[in-house]
Amino acid sequence: MPKLNSFKVKVETGDQGTAGPVMFSINRHTLPLENVVGDTGAGDVFEGGFEVNSFAHSLTLVGPEKGQWHIKKITVDFDCEGSQPYSVTYGEVTLDETSQANLWQDPPQLVFDV
Amino acid sequence: MSLINTVKKIFSNNDPVKTEGDSNGDESTPPSIESSEKPADNFPELPQERMTINLSVIKESNTSSPQSDEILIKAEPSVANDQCVFMVNRTLMEGYSWYFSSFESAAGSSLAEALFSLEDVESALILESTLTLTRKDKTIVDWKPLAKEVGAVVRKALEGGGPLISEKIIAEMPSEESVREGIQKSIDTEVNPGVAGHGGHITLQSVKGNTVTIQMGGGCQGCSAADLTLKQGIHSSFRKAVPMVGAILDETDHSAGVNPYF
Repeated sequence: MPKLNSFKVKVETGDQGTAGPVMFSINRHTLPLENVVGDTGAGDVFEGGFEVNSFAHSLTLVGPEKGQWHIKKITVDFDCEGSQPYSVTYGEVTLDETSQANLWQDPPQLVFDV
Repeated sequence: MSLINTVKKIFSNNDPVKTEGDSNGDESTPPSIESSEKPADNFPELPQERMTINLSVIKESNTSSPQSDEILIKAEPSVANDQCVFMVNRTLMEGYSWYFSSFESAAGSSLAEALFSLEDVESALILESTLTLTRKDKTIVDWKPLAKEVGAVVRKALEGGGPLISEKIIAEMPSEESVREGIQKSIDTEVNPGVAGHGGHITLQSVKGNTVTIQMGGGCQGCSAADLTLKQGIHSSFRKAVPMVGAILDETDHSAGVNPYF
């Protein structure tokens, strides 16, 4: 499990937006994203991030407290200790007050030619 | 009595505790600590556990072996560094897979003999165009030096043009039916009774040649120790039951489910 220095998340909202604020959960601690840009209305693009500087056991995007949030695409840029920065893009999902989306993905395996 | 001492007393024994201001020496009338506690209904409700959804990942794979006249080999050490998978743009074994557990088992198979000539190679599993190796020295985490040697050995064996796998092995390969029967018996009589205590169960998904694919369910799915369980327990049971079983593949998505292990 690598140490997560920081991450940035870009969320493309689909047909149904949410009022926010956009919260994430790291190791079951729920926090608001920082350095946010954009919006979470229908068709909008929202970006935010967080300086974690800790080991990530779990990282999720928390659903809205009221209503549904239809997300078309989520792109997460990870900066982990001991590996090159990497990006993961996730597909469509609809979140609500009972759900959260897993954002965590281990760094890609080292592959080399021999 | 200080607050710290009061707290220590609460946790160290069940004796009645005196609070600050009650140090009048009257041990017969211990004050109740309940009076200073908030009623239970004043505590905020714990947040409801949310269902974690695992999203489909849209990503490009960089591990394919392209067709080329040149022999191309990519090495991918596992996360735990306990094994390394080599992907070759040539077929190493067609229709079957084979597990070489020792130098002796490599007799007659030019590729395996060459691999075991490398000092640190412990075991080799050949499946189609991939080769999975474990090493004897588990303290070494850097696979690069050994992987370079493996690459040279594989390249030389392929360029040699002879049969990579002993013809005797191919000739004596058991039927799919007998592999299925033996593995199913092992699952029913040994593996599942063993994992049932952890709420898990194993099902045999498919048998192709002598390659078997299993799925882990119940408590095994999402278990962080599943990889270790699979390798140490299930593999040895299967190989004992069906000595000619080749690759044992796990089709379980350990990150799936409502609340998978992260």
